[in-house]
Amino acid sequence: MRQILRDAAFTIRVRLLKCSCLALVAVWLLGLQEVSLAQRPPTIAAAANLNVALTEIAKQFERDRGMRVDVVFGSSGTLTRQIRDGAPFEMFLAADEEFPNQLTSAGLTRDAGVVYAIGRLVIFAPTGSPLVVDERLQGLSRLLQAGRVTRFAIANPDVAPYGRAAETVLRNHGLWDAIRPRLVMGDTIAQAAQFATTGNAVGGLIAYSLVTEPGVADRGRYALIPQTDHAPLRQRMVLLKRATPIVEQFYAYVQGAAARTVLIKNGYEVPQ
Amino acid sequence: MRDPALSVSLRQSGPIPLDVEFTCHSGEVLAIFGPSGSGKTTILRSIAGLYRPSHASIRSGAETWTDTDTGTFIPPHRRTVGLVFQEYALFPHLTALGNVMTAIGHRPRTERRSRAEAMLNLVRLGAHASKRPRDLSGGERQRVALARALAREPAVLLLDEPFSAVDRSARRRLQNEIDSLRRTLDVPLVLVTHDFEDVVRLASHVLMLQHGRGVACGPISTLMSRPDLPWLREAVGLGSVFDATVTQVHADRGLVELTFGGGILLAPARNIAAKTAVRVRIPAREIVLATTAPTGLSLHNVLAGAVMAVHVDTAFEGVIVQLAVGNSVLLAEVTRDAIGRLGIGVGQRLHVLIKSVSIELQASDADSAEEGH
Amino acid sequence: MDWAALRVSLWLGAGTIAILLPLGVWFGRLLAVREFKGKLLVEALVTVPLVLPPTVLGFYLLVTFGARSPLGQAFEALVGHSLPFSFQGLLFASAIANVPFVIQPIQRGFEAIPSDVRDAAASCGLTPWQRFARIELPLAWPGVLTGAVLTFAHTLGEFGVVLMVGGNLPGQTRTLSVAIYDRMQAFDDRSAGVMAATLLTISVVTLMTTTALSRRVNPHRA
Repeated sequence: MRQILRDAAFTIRVRLLKCSCLALVAVWLLGLQEVSLAQRPPTIAAAANLNVALTEIAKQFERDRGMRVDVVFGSSGTLTRQIRDGAPFEMFLAADEEFPNQLTSAGLTRDAGVVYAIGRLVIFAPTGSPLVVDERLQGLSRLLQAGRVTRFAIANPDVAPYGRAAETVLRNHGLWDAIRPRLVMGDTIAQAAQFATTGNAVGGLIAYSLVTEPGVADRGRYALIPQTDHAPLRQRMVLLKRATPIVEQFYAYVQGAAARTVLIKNGYEVPQ
Repeated sequence: MRDPALSVSLRQSGPIPLDVEFTCHSGEVLAIFGPSGSGKTTILRSIAGLYRPSHASIRSGAETWTDTDTGTFIPPHRRTVGLVFQEYALFPHLTALGNVMTAIGHRPRTERRSRAEAMLNLVRLGAHASKRPRDLSGGERQRVALARALAREPAVLLLDEPFSAVDRSARRRLQNEIDSLRRTLDVPLVLVTHDFEDVVRLASHVLMLQHGRGVACGPISTLMSRPDLPWLREAVGLGSVFDATVTQVHADRGLVELTFGGGILLAPARNIAAKTAVRVRIPAREIVLATTAPTGLSLHNVLAGAVMAVHVDTAFEGVIVQLAVGNSVLLAEVTRDAIGRLGIGVGQRLHVLIKSVSIELQASDADSAEEGH
Repeated sequence: MDWAALRVSLWLGAGTIAILLPLGVWFGRLLAVREFKGKLLVEALVTVPLVLPPTVLGFYLLVTFGARSPLGQAFEALVGHSLPFSFQGLLFASAIANVPFVIQPIQRGFEAIPSDVRDAAASCGLTPWQRFARIELPLAWPGVLTGAVLTFAHTLGEFGVVLMVGGNLPGQTRTLSVAIYDRMQAFDDRSAGVMAATLLTISVVTLMTTTALSRRVNPHRA
């Protein structure tokens, strides 16, 4: 009888050991998580075209108000999907209006938000590229006809509003079908800018706000695309329902004078 | 007080066919003998609890280890068996001492080390206690395996082809070792082998196995005098095997006198003292039969015998004649022509002639005088 | 150098090992020692994460546990936040992705033990637990260590699943590999370079360790 109990005890003991290991790990990790969540600054989602401008605004916010926010950059489409899947962002600065409106319709935001900036597209060619940049895209057209466009960078139109605008521009100039096989699509406008400015492509249609940074501007030449060539890049931001007071303050700060100066410096127009 | 015997009964049709039934008492050495693939190792593993045939009944003394009828099965770690594997199966990460200590879990912690050291001394490996198996020779590893099996203080000792992985000279010494151990141990010893020499050297009883079936079982002298085991005949050659005692040593003539159930034999002298027990084997081919007592011959041994049976097997050229000599049974192999010429028939009295050089002797003490490996 | 990202990466590696090692030892040993119907299928399933594109894993995790799914909502009600976009979510995804890296070396480690040695341990009177702890585990130990090291290295290198399931949240789900990607998009090649070099060094050291370990797999054999 004792023997039977002993063998049963072995099996139970092993299972207990495994379960307790897992339980310990789980409890520990959960605890870790709870602690870290409480201490972490709030997280904000922002479209990739704001990479330079918003980082600076956030720094200023910290200097002026003594509070910190963490910014996560990505394409507006991807961020929207993540927010819908439960990502813990408290505020969302998109590159268009459509994506934040989706969130508002889904009831995830405090309200419909505000337009905080209007963006511009540029055509960029890195130094040494055969591409001649001009606002009518004639240089691009000539290069295409000569068959010398190896790769041309834009953002993915499905997830990035700047990519959508780029597609519109190319279509309007009758270049879309010819250039399509040569396109390399970044999944954010920042990645497209990477491709365009580092010589991996003959050039690209990227955000004005990304080339105004001195380090980037030196890498080549660019020309502003007229706003009439595409739907205006009106960029809307929203507060998510879970926003905490710090983020509420930041939301107001972005609409304030200090932030607007930074936005204008980085090539945006700001609404009155 | 019941004799702590081992009684085994195994039956199954597949995947490994088995059909055996035997008993082994303490002090006995049962050799399970058969060609490779006949199921010998399976029987041993069944006794140890490492294999579960579909029908089995295994009892050791008063304990029932396996009984498929009642659903009893004692797992291997609760059977007091000592199992020596063919390939030693030593624990590679432990020293020789550590290996032996593993088997002494049934003793209090304070005793384990000293008992293990005693075991190693018993197999003359005391000096190698802190060596790892990889630093030991084949024979030494086998002795550690033996020590480990004995350390368990087993009710049954099982040896699985214990000498097959060991070279010839080491084999002789190991056989002697086991033979002397068995005299001091009081447990049944089951030995599995395909080497007939092991059987002759060590066994008191034999179980012949063929395709998992026990075709013959009994004391070695009885079994060896049976003419009706054709594959044994093919594999080994028939002969008579029996125990004898050295009654006199004629050092001047270079002969020793052996007394056995059938009388007295003279064999060439070896390093044997008087009163030693020896095991004798006489191949059947070495026996000459005569109707009249011969004179002027070189051979020393002429015994009187009576024909018990004449065994003709068309598969073989020779005819086996079973003879009663005193209290023993001897086998002689002669041609069919000789049967006819001498008119050999059952009940006939014949003279049994044996050359002294044809007598195979085995004595455990004889070889132990030489330096051990 | 993003120290928070390094910390997240290291915690993720350590956490994955903590979860998978006990499981791996138990299951790897089972596969090594037992024969059973459907074993081939089980072994194949264990290998699946090796060939599964990380995005497939990420997709299914998001769909099954995202805020729009019933399971995800239940989790959030229980714990207070969603499973994706949290460190736990990463741990979960990482554990699934690393199953073959843990189980296969451990299985090989236990398979390398001759069955005779296991039987001998039983015949020496060792209970199944003693057999495991005193004989099998010491002999299979190099396999276990290899599994742990491989898992750690693989976790450090995970990118696709981490990005999809984690969401690149600083200090929580932004691992070193994601941080490199992040810095490159911000035109900060210098930081990206430092972190890439760090990851490379860790990977090389890990590979060296596994190579040295695999030489030791049978240290006790003559």
